[in-house]
Amino acid sequence: MKAKKAVSLLLATVLAATMLTGCGGGRGTEETDQTDETPDDAGEEKPDDADAEGEESEDEETGETPSAEGGIVGVALPWLGTQNWAEAEVMFKEQLEAAGYEAIIQAADQKVPQQQQQIESMIENGAQVIVVGPVDGSQLGSVLEKAKDAGVYVIGYDRLLENTTGVDGIVQFGSVKTGELQAEALLQGLKEQKGEAPYNIELFGGGPADPNAPNFFTGAMSVLQPLIDDGTLVVVSGQTDFTQCATADWDNSKAQSRMDAILAGNYSDIEIDGVLSPNDGIARAIITSCENAGQPIPVVSGLDAENESVEWVWSGRQYSTVAKPTNALVEETVSIINSLLSGSGMPETDVTANNGMIDVPVYELPPVVVTKDNAKEVFADDPDRLALLKD
Amino acid sequence: MKYVKKVLGEDLRQYTMVVALVALIIIFNIISGGKMITSSNFQNLLSGNAYVLVLALGMLMVIVIGQIDLSVGSVAGFTSMVMAIAARQFNLPWYLAILIALAIGTIAGAWQGFFLSVLGIPGFITTLGGMMIFRGGVIWISNSISVPVPSELKWFGAGYLPEWGPAFTGMNNSTLLLGIIAIAAYVIAQMRKFAHSGDVTGKKEEFWPFAVRIVIVAAVIGYATWLFGSGRPGTSFPIPGLFLMILIILYYLITERTSFGRHVYAVGGNKMAAELSGVNVRRTYFLTMLNMSVLAAVAGILFVGRSTAAGPADGTSWEMDAIASVFIGGAAVSGGVGTVIATMVGGLVMAVLNNGLMLMGVGADKTQVIKGFVLLAAVAFDVYNKKNKG
Repeated sequence: MKAKKAVSLLLATVLAATMLTGCGGGRGTEETDQTDETPDDAGEEKPDDADAEGEESEDEETGETPSAEGGIVGVALPWLGTQNWAEAEVMFKEQLEAAGYEAIIQAADQKVPQQQQQIESMIENGAQVIVVGPVDGSQLGSVLEKAKDAGVYVIGYDRLLENTTGVDGIVQFGSVKTGELQAEALLQGLKEQKGEAPYNIELFGGGPADPNAPNFFTGAMSVLQPLIDDGTLVVVSGQTDFTQCATADWDNSKAQSRMDAILAGNYSDIEIDGVLSPNDGIARAIITSCENAGQPIPVVSGLDAENESVEWVWSGRQYSTVAKPTNALVEETVSIINSLLSGSGMPETDVTANNGMIDVPVYELPPVVVTKDNAKEVFADDPDRLALLKD
Repeated sequence: MKYVKKVLGEDLRQYTMVVALVALIIIFNIISGGKMITSSNFQNLLSGNAYVLVLALGMLMVIVIGQIDLSVGSVAGFTSMVMAIAARQFNLPWYLAILIALAIGTIAGAWQGFFLSVLGIPGFITTLGGMMIFRGGVIWISNSISVPVPSELKWFGAGYLPEWGPAFTGMNNSTLLLGIIAIAAYVIAQMRKFAHSGDVTGKKEEFWPFAVRIVIVAAVIGYATWLFGSGRPGTSFPIPGLFLMILIILYYLITERTSFGRHVYAVGGNKMAAELSGVNVRRTYFLTMLNMSVLAAVAGILFVGRSTAAGPADGTSWEMDAIASVFIGGAAVSGGVGTVIATMVGGLVMAVLNNGLMLMGVGADKTQVIKGFVLLAAVAFDVYNKKNKG
């Protein structure tokens, strides 16, 4: 009975509190709404408030008082499970805070509903710009439109935001270009290490939910397909379609299983010379699979310059990787944020991509191929990775 | 103390989670500086969690019959992917696509119900199989690529009640109307209950607790109405929330007022006794599993509407969220115990936790840890209470 009394007492207190605080919260709400959603007149009184007003100033090009100081920026990342995203988290935090913004950075653990709610909570927290590295670029439609309605700028980071009108621009490394570079590095490696043509190769693609993945593959195939046609390259398994080669969710273990199966089925009496791999994790899975199968290590491409792969490139196990310096991407994003919050709108760009609803301005950065020969130059400014290149 | 008890009715245990929910909302509102209790955040809460709560409605009945359904997320993902493909690649109108999704949900449920009720394979195994089959199916038919859905479907997941009528009300009139209907329905239901309160026991309920109860509930509904209705013009009570409300009322009636509902509890409480007293156990099993998959299809539709595209990973681990909601709501693992309202409160506790922690900027990793502890604490509290009672 004592417990019951205690519960009742608690109940009564909380109920009373609800009635009181509830009403108090109500009035507070109105105030928050006003600051959050910034009616036009409030913006005019304080031009440096650069709130929802920013969007209109873009259209009118009135050129308000530029001021990058202050402002809340949300960054929604898909997860922190790979090095490039973990780095992005740290760099965004450092660079946004250095630029004087309050940064809200959240990772969604690869779950779409989680990311949708995180973006909504950023809108609630009064973010003026939201940077989105999507889990699935096409599944944020209504949430991003909600951001747009609230006067928030949305910048896609590293991946295209599809199927929505609520996106103002995309910052990414040229993804078709990346694929071309991977294929060229593969060819160069084959010539250096595997003697005369023809070469036996296999192809791997990335996660189909990531709009970059088909682009990498398209870029790579634009280089490889002519050589496959003229017999210089032989895809022994015959699997050359993206859907056959794709690796769901960029999951290394799935790539390794596929490589195991291909080696067991096609390479019992021949050697594999090269493999096109869309990223480093998959590249290492492929190399491990070949080693387990007793094959000589093939020439394998990669992407992301993950620490472990940088070591592997340095020791010669993995032929190449492509560095997409996260730092450069974050810097570009922050410079766009500066431009937006100082009232200058989106910077000019001549590249656009259709996302299924609208043409989105794209800010493309060039990626860099890394092999053992040039690793020291590429990472000259990157002490962490440079430390991996021990003699 | 006895006055409070009189107002709330005798069963206080049922209210502990409500207290926890209210306390959470208030605490988060204070910590976040008033960002929790706002129109837009409450709208987000509902439209972002409606799909889990819809699943929890079906999962409650599955758990009450002493089974578990691990396949709901995969079924939701599969049905909505079929819907998206039907609309996108076969150019079917959106309403036909929805009907197809519901039909596939029904077939999937019948399939699982068949294995459980006719072949007697435990629900855990049946639905583990279903989970693999339908997850594989989604990836198979979609080639792992997201498929956008027609813009009409957005209404189901991200729409709001329409604006109409005079502006002097200062809020969305549809929401206002809904609030008035809700209050009226509650008052009428309570008045009827009050009028009949002495029929069986011969002890008429006192008038004042009845009046206080009506005033409190009406105030809460009124406040919620104002909160949902007074947001940015164009927003109001969200459509997924409306579907959820309709389903809650429907399932409340099914579980509390129909013979099927009584059979569900009877089978879960004691299968043998239920069978001996003439309950068709197989039929109850079958219909409960069937119902679960239909609700999974509904949840999939709501989610895809919000996402504007069906994705290959849709539904991953949704079953776990639904199961957690049911257990936080006080259902027993052994079956036979659990109510619709308590399950909804359990689901909302999880939703508010998630939302509040996000507003505070807590990462998904830590949120997960906290949710795990809350689940354990809630169930432990329940078990402790039950022991002390006996």
